[in-house]
Amino acid sequence: MMSKGLLAVDSNDSTLPAANLRRRTFLAGAGAAMASAALPISAAAQTKTFSGRKLVYVSWGGVYQDSQKLAYCAPFAAETGARVIQDGPMNEAKVRTMVGAGSPEWDVCDVTDTFLFNGVTNNLFEKIDYQIVQKNKLAPDYAQDYGVGNCVWSYNVCYSTKAFSNSNGPKTWADLFDLKRFPGKRMFRNRVYATLEIALLADGVTADKLYPLDVDRALRKLDTIRDEITWWNTPSQSQQFITDGAVTCGVIQNGRAFDAARKGASIAIEWDQNLQSLDYLVVLRGSKDVEAAMHLLNRSIQEDAQARFVNATAYAPVNPGAFDYVDKPLQPWLPTQPEHAKLGITMNAMWWNSQLESLNERWNKWRLG
Amino acid sequence: MLGLPALAFVAGVFGIPVLLFLGKAFTDPSPGVQNFKLIASDTLYVRVLWNTVVVSGATTFFALLLGYPFAYTLANTSPRIRRLLIFVVLVPFWTSLLVRAFSWTVLLQPQGLINAMLVGIGFVHKPIELMFNRTGLLIGMVQMQLPFVVFPLYSVMTTIDPAYVRAASGLGASPVRSFWKIYFPLSMPGVLTGGLLVFVTSLGYFITPALLGGLRDFMIAQLIHDQVADIGIWGVPAALSILLLAGTFALFGLAKAAGVRTK
Amino acid sequence: MSNTHRIWPVARGFVCGLVIVYMLVPLAIVVIISFSSAPFLTFPPPGFSLQWYKAVLDPVWVDALMTSAIVMVPAASLATTLGLGAALALQRPGFPFAGPLRSLLMSPLVVPVIVTGAATYGLFRFLGLQGTRTGLVLAHAVLSIPYALATISTSLQVVDPRLGQAAASLGSAPLHTFFFVTFPMIRAGVFSSFLFSLVISFDELVVSLFISSPEARPITVQMWSNIRGDVDPTIAALATLLFLFALVVLLVEAVFGNGQADK
Repeated sequence: MMSKGLLAVDSNDSTLPAANLRRRTFLAGAGAAMASAALPISAAAQTKTFSGRKLVYVSWGGVYQDSQKLAYCAPFAAETGARVIQDGPMNEAKVRTMVGAGSPEWDVCDVTDTFLFNGVTNNLFEKIDYQIVQKNKLAPDYAQDYGVGNCVWSYNVCYSTKAFSNSNGPKTWADLFDLKRFPGKRMFRNRVYATLEIALLADGVTADKLYPLDVDRALRKLDTIRDEITWWNTPSQSQQFITDGAVTCGVIQNGRAFDAARKGASIAIEWDQNLQSLDYLVVLRGSKDVEAAMHLLNRSIQEDAQARFVNATAYAPVNPGAFDYVDKPLQPWLPTQPEHAKLGITMNAMWWNSQLESLNERWNKWRLG
Repeated sequence: MLGLPALAFVAGVFGIPVLLFLGKAFTDPSPGVQNFKLIASDTLYVRVLWNTVVVSGATTFFALLLGYPFAYTLANTSPRIRRLLIFVVLVPFWTSLLVRAFSWTVLLQPQGLINAMLVGIGFVHKPIELMFNRTGLLIGMVQMQLPFVVFPLYSVMTTIDPAYVRAASGLGASPVRSFWKIYFPLSMPGVLTGGLLVFVTSLGYFITPALLGGLRDFMIAQLIHDQVADIGIWGVPAALSILLLAGTFALFGLAKAAGVRTK
Repeated sequence: MSNTHRIWPVARGFVCGLVIVYMLVPLAIVVIISFSSAPFLTFPPPGFSLQWYKAVLDPVWVDALMTSAIVMVPAASLATTLGLGAALALQRPGFPFAGPLRSLLMSPLVVPVIVTGAATYGLFRFLGLQGTRTGLVLAHAVLSIPYALATISTSLQVVDPRLGQAAASLGSAPLHTFFFVTFPMIRAGVFSSFLFSLVISFDELVVSLFISSPEARPITVQMWSNIRGDVDPTIAALATLLFLFALVVLLVEAVFGNGQADK
């Protein structure tokens, strides 16, 4: 039984998701991913053949990329006869250099929302061919001119259920700034993106008045708990800190919290004011096979591909139709699940890109103290 | 000639492409020296450069402090123990940065092993902050840099003929005196080389400071990386690189002058 | 001042002991974690398991290790050889442009690695070396030359030039003089350079991230490639295996290399 906005996963409770998830092997191969409701045959079953053609797909490595390989690239290759080679990890400076020099050796890349807009400004990507990519499968925000949404993830409030029993943990961003009610070190990401939004929301700014961000106000708010913050640089660190008890609460990505929970951590996350961000698939400008790349992009947004990917990672689908095929135990972890989406606030990556230099500058100055 | 292959190699594989990149300092986003003016006038760059120098200097100091006696032992001990010591000092290289960072967390965090020990023996009343601050960063960096100071020192110390020191003692000099007047000056080339290598290498660190350091412990290489990767500007990073090169070459010159004088 | 007679060895022993602990304790933690039953980094481990050692046997890791091993030996050899030649050439008095040349050869140490990475990447694409093991060898060699040059130069500095002159006056040809007079004295320096270059190549991350490809993927890139995920003890098992391997090499050398003058 879940109370609104609260999902606590305690390893002792066998009825909650964690127990179910441990019995599942998440990456046992394409077959295993269909263990839930029978996935739909891809309506866009490729009739076109690309046999003899090659694409290089680049993402962020690990389980994330492996899941994408199994969910998008493998079916695409099987259906069209194309060869899809995995490379990575994603390296922004390398992308800039290779596109600048022409004939990039990477074709399709998974990029962050800020890099999408930055790449558009710097003319790094091919325009998406929406004759090939079925735009109607995506929510409007997820179909950009130069990028196709891949997955939605969120920053959530999290806390250790060892430090705070189920109903006594922080529920909102403002709670993270309350050292009296919620003592202990809290963790934040060592990155200006999202941290400013969190501080402003904690200071009482409403979601609709968030942008343009009042940077001074946000930094002042952060100053109030500055000494009690442990900053994480890699997502893995965020998992470590909360699992090991180095922090009692903080900011975490939904996928990491999910992973920590299924590995037995006593963690709970909240969905109030969750900050949503998106990853996009792009085609690098000058790619040798733009047509095949567009078809791969289209394959990635089909319901079955999305469901396979979501079931393995707990990142949310961009195709709402995929929800019917996502494992039930995962739904509570997904930012685009209707209840969570209502509480969610999508970050304005376009605005961020326009301010990148000055925001980074002010952030770095603030860091120095 | 002997030097030619090295020159051709470094110039070709490294020098020319890097020079082309560094040229962007004067052309990106538009021709001129605005990038340098920007760096000089923006307190951020000045402070981060200063930070970088301080952290690198501190790393060098502690590396020399620990490395000098270690190198001395290395040079004056049996081959068997020497092999063991060389092995020991190279150990950090076998462990990846990511897992080593975690090890340090285990050791240095407030509920970690070292604090447990210190509180347990009553040395301190409550845990001291050893991690995610400059202390933790220095502990991590010195460990990685120790070989770079030990080996140059060692290779110089093996050439110091113990006869010199014995002669000084024989003439009535105290051990302290013969060390300072005879041994230390003879080991100076090793000190200068090792110190320089550690200092200059430390200037370029950014991953370790991110993993082990505190909020304010970020160094110039991080700024350069972020601008190239995240924002896509090349001019300021190139200008910063030129400044680093200029500063380091000046340092090399000073060291050379110091080295000549101790002869 | 007979106290100093006792203080120095004791202090020295203390420092060496400290360094040994400093190097080995973090490694000990890594070794312990490698046997953890938990699929994430945590200390102390909740249970015992050998699963990570099995994970290391996965072709992905084995290939990466092989690539690193195949790359580091030629890279180190190249760097040491070129560095040796350059060091010998540059120490001759009156060598034209010795200062600027030395600076050029030392510059890979100073230029921020992301700049080196991007610049080298651009060049290698043009030359068809991008994504090849050869490319990795060349890039690593360039990054190691400064260390080789610095270390060997320092060794040469302390070699008494009169020894060489004496040998020459006794009729020794230059090459002969080098091999039988100079080289034995700088052997420690050359050995150090080679060792440095090996570990620098093995540990090199940022430039390798640019130069690597699915066909040429060193171990550092492989370890770094799980950016968004959780780190599991596979890399701890890897580190432990490498440590054991180095230990075995050490022991073998100790047993069979006995009797030979070391350095």
